[in-house]
Amino acid sequence: MGLIHDRYDKNIFITSLDFLFNWARRSSLWWLQFGLACCAIEMIAASMSRFDLAERFGMLYRASPRQADMMIISGTVTKKMGPVVRTLYDQMPEPKWVVSMGSCANVGGPYDTYAVVQGVDQIIPVDVYMPGCPPTPEALYYGILELQNKVIKYETMARKQGLTAAETHRQAERQAAMGALDAVPAQPGV
Amino acid sequence: MTDKPLEPDSGLTQPETREESEAASIAKESPDAAVASAPVSDVEGMKEVLLDDYTAWSRDHWFHDDIEMHPALIALRAAFPDAVVDAVRFRDETTIHVAPGQWRAICLFLKDHPRLRLNFLSDVTAVDMLRLRENPRFDVVAHLYSLPNRVRLRLKTGVNDGESVSSLVPIWNGANWMERECYDMFGIIFEGHPNLKRMLLPDDWDEGHPLRKDYPLRGWSEFPVMNTERTVGRVRTRWTGRGVS
Amino acid sequence: MTTNTTLPTPYEAGAVFSTDATSMGPLTIEEDAALQSGERVMTLNMGPQHPSTHGVLRVVLKLDGEVIIDCDPVIGYLHRGTEKLGEHHRYAQVIPWTDRTDYVAAPMNNLGCVLAFEKLCGVTAPERAQYWRVIMSELARLASHLVWLGTHALDIGALSMSLYCFRERELILDLFETFVGARLTTNMMEIGGFSRPIPENLPGMVRDFLKIFPERQQEYADLLSANPIWMARTKGVGVIPADVAINYSLTGACLRGSGVNYDIRKAMPYCVYDRLDFEVPLGQHGDTYDRYLVRMEEMRQTIKIIGQALDQCERMDTELMAWDSEYVIPPHKGTMTTAEDMQRHFIWVIKGFSPPVGEVYVAVEGPKGELGYYVVSDGSPLPYRFRIRAPDFVNLSSLPYMANGSMLADVVALIGTIDIVLGSVDR
Repeated sequence: MGLIHDRYDKNIFITSLDFLFNWARRSSLWWLQFGLACCAIEMIAASMSRFDLAERFGMLYRASPRQADMMIISGTVTKKMGPVVRTLYDQMPEPKWVVSMGSCANVGGPYDTYAVVQGVDQIIPVDVYMPGCPPTPEALYYGILELQNKVIKYETMARKQGLTAAETHRQAERQAAMGALDAVPAQPGV
Repeated sequence: MTDKPLEPDSGLTQPETREESEAASIAKESPDAAVASAPVSDVEGMKEVLLDDYTAWSRDHWFHDDIEMHPALIALRAAFPDAVVDAVRFRDETTIHVAPGQWRAICLFLKDHPRLRLNFLSDVTAVDMLRLRENPRFDVVAHLYSLPNRVRLRLKTGVNDGESVSSLVPIWNGANWMERECYDMFGIIFEGHPNLKRMLLPDDWDEGHPLRKDYPLRGWSEFPVMNTERTVGRVRTRWTGRGVS
Repeated sequence: MTTNTTLPTPYEAGAVFSTDATSMGPLTIEEDAALQSGERVMTLNMGPQHPSTHGVLRVVLKLDGEVIIDCDPVIGYLHRGTEKLGEHHRYAQVIPWTDRTDYVAAPMNNLGCVLAFEKLCGVTAPERAQYWRVIMSELARLASHLVWLGTHALDIGALSMSLYCFRERELILDLFETFVGARLTTNMMEIGGFSRPIPENLPGMVRDFLKIFPERQQEYADLLSANPIWMARTKGVGVIPADVAINYSLTGACLRGSGVNYDIRKAMPYCVYDRLDFEVPLGQHGDTYDRYLVRMEEMRQTIKIIGQALDQCERMDTELMAWDSEYVIPPHKGTMTTAEDMQRHFIWVIKGFSPPVGEVYVAVEGPKGELGYYVVSDGSPLPYRFRIRAPDFVNLSSLPYMANGSMLADVVALIGTIDIVLGSVDR
């Protein structure tokens, strides 16, 4: 302890309350224990012995949506499962984040059939998309880190004005992102 | 004969009396003896001999080149003279088409027959023959397996749209879910089924039966976007520049 | 939530509960009378989001106190239309979807599908490829049983078992990753054998795994087999007599736990199982504990099988891919160097191949039971009918039989002992 001994005891840090809350939120994201398909096995593998996702990032899986901060859509969302996913999302308290894990949850994946919702973003808003079929635990790590970068930027004022304002804010962000995509000229012939 | 757990070979090769066992041992040594002794021209007489003799039930006959030698086919023809429509052999697998009227009776007969003993129902499914033939539209397919004899048999019966076929649940409880799935995917009605309703698809699914050949792969209708004061479109693809929805 | 003046559609979030309530049915007259007379009949919904249902299974239970009087499993929350997809793609394209049915043992699904296609086409894989198919599918069986053991024990209350089991499962996934580069959905087998070479270090890695696994498994057995809590939760729970097991068309450990000797590897050997020496463990009482013992012994036999297969094929230096001008993809090297192979490869990929008209049913002994593939060909490059006989779909139909009359807490043990994977149940 010689290095930091007596060096940090009288300091004062000044920051916003937003940052403090967001820092706390980012460091203990609890996720809804909720597996859908093949990606759920990789999600379980990521939280088990070798990869130890839960302990490393201060995460914990909760079986109840009332105590969860984030939701990993790990697998194919079928039309029968869609209302259930939406209900679970509605039951989670604000602020809440959604990670779409795997190609099936992103865009339907290889299952372009009568029974599958083509992308979970038709049902609930998604914050981070992870490609892969299934994504490896390392990819899940990367997605969680990206989500943490997003959580630290969450604006409490928007939250205080209620769900609609927060969603409007999120939509504005999305529109901005899509505008950036529009700026990229479409490549003919591809 | 009950369905007690048995050693796989015990039932078939246990003759009841001493004479039969001697005859069986002789027949085992020379499997062609019994067939050779029968008059070849007299088909009915040959069937009698085959039915009574041990060699007719030997494992070779299940895979004999001549499908008419198949023990199940011979037994079925004897018990249900009008039921057998067709019998096909493809890659060592035998398919027997039967009339739909006696579907359950035939399955029960094959299950309880002391020598055939096809007592295990592997699978019940259906095939929509819309593009292959006019009538009947569906084939209901049952894969039977004999635990003592270690052989498979495929039974088929044709049924039209709207007609019903008798359920196998009174014989095998395992047919319960398989037939429910069949109803869900093809719309075939199984008469006598205790709980014939949607299984894999939602209860309020009104788009029809998806494994029919006239049902498109992607279904008829789009998924309704729920709770929508805002619509979430797909993010545009960078390369094509086109939005998907 | 904003106020919505229009009529709520069934998919409105608020209306979800009402659809759920109607799907389990209104109270019958008897139940209503029972309620009026003071008996407590409670309907309890379990799932589809429940930590112990192994995915998205939903079970509707009717309870009298803590005793289950009726049990209705509701499946289909992961129905993705694999069979319909199979009818719309060429034969070789169908194989990747089989990975995603029983996704904890993907090579085993590949094996059944590929064997069905080969039987339809009349192609036989070379001997060495058959040995490696056995090795890979038996490793998949081990992986599947490890997931079963971990989650089953986790449901009953032994949390640490899942940590241990996933530790060993990672070793198996490493072997898959060395071979094909994917961990879970491997898409390993092809019609005619393997088009990829076996990596040089793979046999050594498998042997290393075979050395360490038995003692690790002995640790699990030491932790569980004589554990009084484990025995109290599993012994006498979910008893299935042998005749009932046959009547319900159960396969796999659910059937063998009841004492019926039906293992497709022995009854109708495929690949090279007739040259390998192994035993089929059988239970006596047909309860959850016996099924646990059967699966544990199966894991030991699997280790034995893999060792023998490695010994028998290590001297072989034959091809891994059958040569067939029509049905099998040409070798990669030939595609790059000779014109004939390149043309053949082009036609094989673009147009596909057309097997003869006919139908086959091929069953392999999957980790959960009889995994059957029924393929009907009409002579076109697409399968006319592609049916997967999923073992756990059929096994799950015995859940009401086992659950009726047992306690509420036993349901998670029963779901665990059937060993379901919802991708395979719903397909």
